[in-house]
Amino acid sequence: MRYKLLTVDDSKTVRIIVRKAFKGFDCEILEAGNGVEGLAVASKEMPDLILLDVTMPVMDGVEMLTKLKSDPALKGIPVMMLTAEGGRDHVLKIAKIGVRDYLVKPFKEEVLIEKAGRIIDLKPLSEAPAKAKSIFDPADILIVEDKPAIIQQIQEGLKHTPWKVHGVATQGEAIDFCSRTPPDLILVSLSLPDESAFTLFRLVRTNVKTKYTPVFALVVKTETTQQQQAQTLGFNAIVTKPIDLGELETKMAKAMNLDTSQRYYALEGDTLVMRLPENCAPAVLAEAADYMKPKFAQAVDAGQNKVVIDIHQLKSLHMGVIKLLFQAMQTCRDLAMQFVLVGSAQIITECKGFEDTRGWTFFESIEEAKANLSKSPAPQLASTT
Amino acid sequence: MPAIQEITDKLIRDNIQRAVHDVFKTMLGHQPDFVSASVQLAGVHTPAMPAAAENSHPSVVGTVGFLGDVNGLIYLYFDVAFARLATSQLLSMSDAELDDAGDEVVNDAIGELTNMTVGSFKNGLCDAGYPCKLTIPSILRGSNFCVEPISSAVRHTFYFNCAGHRVVTDILMKIGD
Repeated sequence: MRYKLLTVDDSKTVRIIVRKAFKGFDCEILEAGNGVEGLAVASKEMPDLILLDVTMPVMDGVEMLTKLKSDPALKGIPVMMLTAEGGRDHVLKIAKIGVRDYLVKPFKEEVLIEKAGRIIDLKPLSEAPAKAKSIFDPADILIVEDKPAIIQQIQEGLKHTPWKVHGVATQGEAIDFCSRTPPDLILVSLSLPDESAFTLFRLVRTNVKTKYTPVFALVVKTETTQQQQAQTLGFNAIVTKPIDLGELETKMAKAMNLDTSQRYYALEGDTLVMRLPENCAPAVLAEAADYMKPKFAQAVDAGQNKVVIDIHQLKSLHMGVIKLLFQAMQTCRDLAMQFVLVGSAQIITECKGFEDTRGWTFFESIEEAKANLSKSPAPQLASTT
Repeated sequence: MPAIQEITDKLIRDNIQRAVHDVFKTMLGHQPDFVSASVQLAGVHTPAMPAAAENSHPSVVGTVGFLGDVNGLIYLYFDVAFARLATSQLLSMSDAELDDAGDEVVNDAIGELTNMTVGSFKNGLCDAGYPCKLTIPSILRGSNFCVEPISSAVRHTFYFNCAGHRVVTDILMKIGD
């Protein structure tokens, strides 16, 4: 939902500052130069929040507020005063008419955003909303952990990604970091002193810039009480120590809503290549399976009907992988696509050991597979039940 | 209405220094430094306006009044270069954008900075027991002009340095009922 915010101020400067302050959020800014215009815009547009000045020509803010609150159709619109009129008695008098908040000029844009964020559910606007971020795009990951070795381990484990992994040791440093550069994901250690991980989580969730940022809890596997506490509080995921970095990367990509399909599917010339990585943990298989049908359908839609299923990087074959491969082959048959397999010598040997995969034919390289694609017979499709 | 004599010089000085500091620091990110002050009592004529020496070059001057238990006007003097700098910082505009936008945008920005400064000053008076309201801002542009108070007014002039420029606040307050 896109919120409408009405700024009523005779100063164009203030209206520009308000527009500038909310530029990074998914909301529409409406403007009026005095109370009369403000009431007219409010009636027509029914804004979700009104920012109202007091001293204005034609009709001042107090009169507009009084009229607004006496109109049954408009009285429910929350109003925040944004004015240089800040004497105690004046504020009390206006507060009695009915305002949700009162911000006295001069003001910092961050304070305005924070106060508005308490009234409407402000959502940061993605810089490129039309294009989903992919795993090849940069992202800022913040690790809040007082043990430098853990930060180093995560940085090392994610160095093949385009993500920048920043490490800080305390809650205060994390807050400073978030106010400077709101990260794409935060991983916070629950072993920070004085339960400051939970305090940090609450602060992150109350800040409009980070309220939707995924926050993971990092905790020792046996600390079940802390894990339960984190789940109750609403952490997006729990990551246990010792850290499985492959799993962490998958979880992070999912939480950041990244398009990870390119990890498994790529259009190369007139052929769709499906690749499985070295380690196919259940999360990886589930992710590859999720993208399968749309990616195959997309290839067919683009007029391509050749598929290379490349598992040469795979360390070892197991039932999860076999099921996924059967699923891919069945999808190819359903869509009348030709497909071939590429595998390493070890995988080929392992395939011979299973009844269902014994008859599969492999090529040693993608080039060879592509060259033989139209000539190669499709592998036997066996039942997986 | 309380007599102006009840409002001490200290109350005026503290309030204007706080107001200028808060507005310039918060809105422009510059820390103003107080340089000096002068007071001209009611009925005492001085040959030149205190701020006249600062006004020999083109200036943009914002004015906002306050009316109530205490009445007065405050003029905030900017040289043109600082008025442009303040506007570009306030609105995140480049010099070229400012050139395109014209004087109207600079006038509005200086009007708003004056409104905030006088508002902050006036709120201090309200909290000290002198309730009053603001008027809408207006702008004077030019050089070598001077503003003379009527004989029943007290004038307090405060000089600040900010970002290498001189800023002058000229406070004219009416005495008595």
